[in-house]
Amino acid sequence: MKLLLANTGSYPRIGDSPELQLLRRTIAAHDRGEATPESLHAVEGVLTKAALKDQEEAGLDLVTDGQIRWPDPISHLAGKLAGIEINGLLRYFDTNFYFRQPVAKADIKRQDGPLVLSEHEFARTHATKPVKPVLTGPLTLARHTIVEHAPYKQLEPLVRAYAQALAPEIDALAKAGAEVIQLDEPALLKNPRDFSILQRALLLLSKHRGKAKLALYLYFGDPQPLYERLQQLPVDILGLDFTYNPKFIERVVSAGSQKPLGLGLVDARNTRLEDPAAVAHQINRILLRVKGEFCYLNPSCGLEYLPRDRAQAKLKLLAEIRTRTKAGAK
Amino acid sequence: MSREKLKQLCLELPLFPVTSVGSFPKPDYLTAARRDFQKGKITAEELRKLEEKATTFWIKKQEELGVDVLVDGEQYRGDMVAYFAEKLPGFQTGGLVRSYGNRYYRKPIIVGEVKWEKPITVDWWRFAQGKTAKPVKGMLTGPYTVMDWSFNEHYPDRQATCLALAQMVRQEVEALIKASCKIIQVDEPALSVRPEELPVALEALHVVMDGLPAYFITHACYGAFENIYPKMLEAPVDNFDLEMSNSGLDMLALFRQNPFTKDLSFGVVDSHSHVVEDLPTVSQRLQQALQVLPKEAVWLDPDCGLKTRTVDEALGKLRVIVEAAKGARSQLAPTAPRP
Repeated sequence: MKLLLANTGSYPRIGDSPELQLLRRTIAAHDRGEATPESLHAVEGVLTKAALKDQEEAGLDLVTDGQIRWPDPISHLAGKLAGIEINGLLRYFDTNFYFRQPVAKADIKRQDGPLVLSEHEFARTHATKPVKPVLTGPLTLARHTIVEHAPYKQLEPLVRAYAQALAPEIDALAKAGAEVIQLDEPALLKNPRDFSILQRALLLLSKHRGKAKLALYLYFGDPQPLYERLQQLPVDILGLDFTYNPKFIERVVSAGSQKPLGLGLVDARNTRLEDPAAVAHQINRILLRVKGEFCYLNPSCGLEYLPRDRAQAKLKLLAEIRTRTKAGAK
Repeated sequence: MSREKLKQLCLELPLFPVTSVGSFPKPDYLTAARRDFQKGKITAEELRKLEEKATTFWIKKQEELGVDVLVDGEQYRGDMVAYFAEKLPGFQTGGLVRSYGNRYYRKPIIVGEVKWEKPITVDWWRFAQGKTAKPVKGMLTGPYTVMDWSFNEHYPDRQATCLALAQMVRQEVEALIKASCKIIQVDEPALSVRPEELPVALEALHVVMDGLPAYFITHACYGAFENIYPKMLEAPVDNFDLEMSNSGLDMLALFRQNPFTKDLSFGVVDSHSHVVEDLPTVSQRLQQALQVLPKEAVWLDPDCGLKTRTVDEALGKLRVIVEAAKGARSQLAPTAPRP
């Protein structure tokens, strides 16, 4: 059993040094009409490369582009679709981060151009490690959408519409060579009754994954009540947040897993650094119970909820933990 | 019942007392001075003089408009959590974290035991109260919100953090009461963030308020109240100050199912809109409130702090609230307190 180190998604786009303030300054200048879209795009590239470098230097096996170009996890995707208008700010789950809420005004359809494919290709070009593209899933998009279009008054048609819009992206990412494609569905933990709706949407999406592995990541909540049912979902990897319920580890150890897991044992919402020996001990217990050849150790969610220096420290901690596991010692 | 408490505290307030949630916009000269102070261009004393000037301006304006329960306008505060974190041992200033789009803030980190050593807000409360005969609210951020909006490297978990902070907030409440402050607002905008933690937030408010002789208000906003109502009514506060207008008064439907049992500072204007509502709009909102609440229980104010508005917008919003209150008072006479 291999223990691979992965990032979960976002990475801080700002830091205290002047060069790490470049994106903030450029966006502000762009908003004032003093910087071109091209120069903004270029600066996003600079910060993306910096995020990749931090992950690679920490020794991660699977990196992300840090979602540096994303205004938030919802409007970055929904805002590129026809039928959607973007509205005001709303709190994102229990974070202190706010996203812009989409309003479904008409049938949701893809427009010309990719959602994240070009971002993924940029990151691949500049990374020395495999890059994992991350997409917010159809249920989470739907659960954060204001519906002003009669056919979407019920949740399932709206979820299906988002899934149909995401499917070609998964297809394109797989064809572009992504080994793992991650779908984030934190909304499921807050709305467990949506399980069957998500299951049907995932069935549709999983048909488009080609040779890529589809990873479903659930965070901002306790996965324990749904744990056994999650094993039935048509995905290849389950990413789980262990920070909301300290007893969840015991459930995983007792029930085992039929699928490789993304172990969200390092808290990406708090600056405190976990004791590497204690986390390694839990990983040893879990890995004995997982079917398959590998698991990932990753932060519990995206790292941009932390200041950059602390996010960096958490990445280094992942490597420190691995060296103390039996899998890492081999 | 809360009218009784106000009487016990010797507070005579009219029907539909008009108040505000806390912050007012800073005048341009103060914004510039704060920036200069950060750069070391002016001294703390020079900055303080300008903060006093701005505070005096807002006290005078509230009096002129006819506001009944005043606030100091928080001209000397930046962020509602960081202000306290900067003054308390146990906190460290954190690095930048994104709040939305291209906006960032410094999220405090709890690195040791949080200790209350001396009053934090009493000096400014005394300054503001010294400028008016009307009551000025003491303004604090609640323990649950300070916990939720900080990183924690010291306490074992969120509950322990929250309860430790509650002890600190209680000491500040006691200091305000000792200074003769009678109305104290303890803001908990994070109250509905994790509905499963509501019992922790409520326990913390008991720690802060139990047995203390003040009229307590708690402000909460921009949350999913449907997930914590009516349980939130178990809080030991006399008055909940809620954002109502931004959400189209949809909380009134909850109050129809389960009666609201406290006084309510009813947000009758949207704090995040540049448009100053007209009198019929505000009066209509008050009338809707009176369909589900006894008139003695209703206070009027904006949805939230007004610091993101311009000075003129803030004044316009306060003016229309006072007009609506006066209009409604002239039509209604106070009755006996509800049983």
